[in-house]
Amino acid sequence: MNIRIHTPEGTRDRMFSECLERRRVQAALVELFQRRGYTEVITPEVEYYDLFVQSGNPIPQEAMLKSIDRSGQILVFRPDCTAPIARVAATKLRSLALPQRLYYDQTVFRDRNFHEGGSREIAQCGVEMIGGAGEKADLEIIAMAADALKCCGLQQSHIELGHAGLFRAMASKLEMTPEEQEQLRTAVENKNFAQLNDILEPYRDRPGWEALHRLPYLFGGKEVLEEAEALAGEIPCLQYLDKLYAELTAAGYGDQIRFDLGMVHQLDYYTGLIFRGYAQGAAGAVLSGGRYDNLLQQFGRAAEATGFAVDVDAVGACLPVEAVPLDTVVFYGPGGLAKALQVVDSSTPGSCELSPCRTLESTIRMAQEKGARRILDLSGEKERWINV
Amino acid sequence: MSDRLRIALTKGRLQDKAVNLFERMGLDCTPVRNPGRRLIHELPNFPLDAVLAKAPDVVTYVEHGVCDMGIVGKDTILEKGGAFYEVLDLGFGRCRFALAVREGSDFYGTYRTRRVASKYPHVTEAFFARKGMDVDVIRIEGSVELAPILGLADGIVDIVETGITLRENGLVPIETVADVSARLIVNTAAMKLKKDQISSFIQSCERELEAVK
Repeated sequence: MNIRIHTPEGTRDRMFSECLERRRVQAALVELFQRRGYTEVITPEVEYYDLFVQSGNPIPQEAMLKSIDRSGQILVFRPDCTAPIARVAATKLRSLALPQRLYYDQTVFRDRNFHEGGSREIAQCGVEMIGGAGEKADLEIIAMAADALKCCGLQQSHIELGHAGLFRAMASKLEMTPEEQEQLRTAVENKNFAQLNDILEPYRDRPGWEALHRLPYLFGGKEVLEEAEALAGEIPCLQYLDKLYAELTAAGYGDQIRFDLGMVHQLDYYTGLIFRGYAQGAAGAVLSGGRYDNLLQQFGRAAEATGFAVDVDAVGACLPVEAVPLDTVVFYGPGGLAKALQVVDSSTPGSCELSPCRTLESTIRMAQEKGARRILDLSGEKERWINV
Repeated sequence: MSDRLRIALTKGRLQDKAVNLFERMGLDCTPVRNPGRRLIHELPNFPLDAVLAKAPDVVTYVEHGVCDMGIVGKDTILEKGGAFYEVLDLGFGRCRFALAVREGSDFYGTYRTRRVASKYPHVTEAFFARKGMDVDVIRIEGSVELAPILGLADGIVDIVETGITLRENGLVPIETVADVSARLIVNTAAMKLKKDQISSFIQSCERELEAVK
């Protein structure tokens, strides 16, 4: 028989330090979320395909891992946690008073091209605040996003804020066709200045042209808000970002907050503040979130909502690895189990283990093979240390 | 964290042009000009390390963040896609993707499903999808011009610079699919985390390109 011993592409067995990293990040985040009044929701690993189409979150069809159930309906492995939680909040939790603060700690599945590296299973830890509208809810969420990256132990991290309304407000002045506007949005999203030039060329004499032309450059500190306002005039969402920044600075988050006004992804889904988190050592954003006030309506309950998700493994990979080497093997004789366990239990986890061998000689051999530093022999009258 | 930037250059013609540009910007590119057996070339008078790679690998290195920036042709970007910032059209390495057919043949004048050979199947597919045409796209690794001559395909989508190779093989370009030139691309996180360094590098490239215009 031909035995398969490898896992499907994009999946992997995680061992030791990889598990440690993931669990450490999850534990830190969950502790923070609980402290801030969030309670956990666990949703199914598989859902109906329709749920994600209905949600309006544009996850490309080919990125969803699909299966067909016995009745012929299309199922997908959860590609995103927000839509299922919105479904729960709009249905099973509909009689509970708002706001509801919910968190999750689960895996999402995304299909991707072969041989590009990266996993099809992504551990996500995140929050959704259902029914929180306006400035204070946004403040709470951004502060928590900043704290989330910090509490994981990242050396250097920051949150970048943008606003889904900004691009619309700027682009509406040019009276473009929807297709042109979408091309423009893509050019801004990819900071494709060459393409942006070409698209904007016919609109050179229109007011607001220059602001759009500069939009992809408008990322960095608070100065970009001022530059945007100088170019585009007063736009309510710019003033809103400015106000949030003042509050966040007063609360001590100033040095962790930056802006990217060229953040224009998923504009049909997000309805207000959008943000991403970056960490030294990661090749992309490690945290992503925003306000999506129209989502719950899709499931029959009108309620504002905002939230974010942390890519747990991407954060974990930025943390220093601390594997604990095996130090001591404990050998004990008849009647010695309690004492031996006491030694193991009081040691740093991973640094000390019991010998399952019957004799001291085979314990020494085992300790040598496993690379332990020493043996604690409890089998005699007096305990003694043997260096390996 | 290293305060040096790392850039991946597409080996060959684009590499030479990129080095010319860098030298006009005042960067000492001796290590890139005389690479020897080294794989990473540290520029002596500027905090920039260069690696040389095949075009698709430039995109891969930048996307995965092991290189902060890359110089690669738009042809590769169109074919391979990916998540990165495409910040500058460097203006060199200009050519175009064109649809070419056998001289005298009428590519569009039939309802029969046409077959198109290309080294760039994604670009080809996207081009005909925009037209709403069903086309059989066949991926060819080597000389694509051979496919219509052998009767394998009705046309080809390929990079055209002068059109001489096409003409010599009895093919004529009938439509431009996309214009191509070298681009400076940047990793999305590096752009944020090394903003000042990368922005000033982009600006000095821009200044130099402006000066030549």
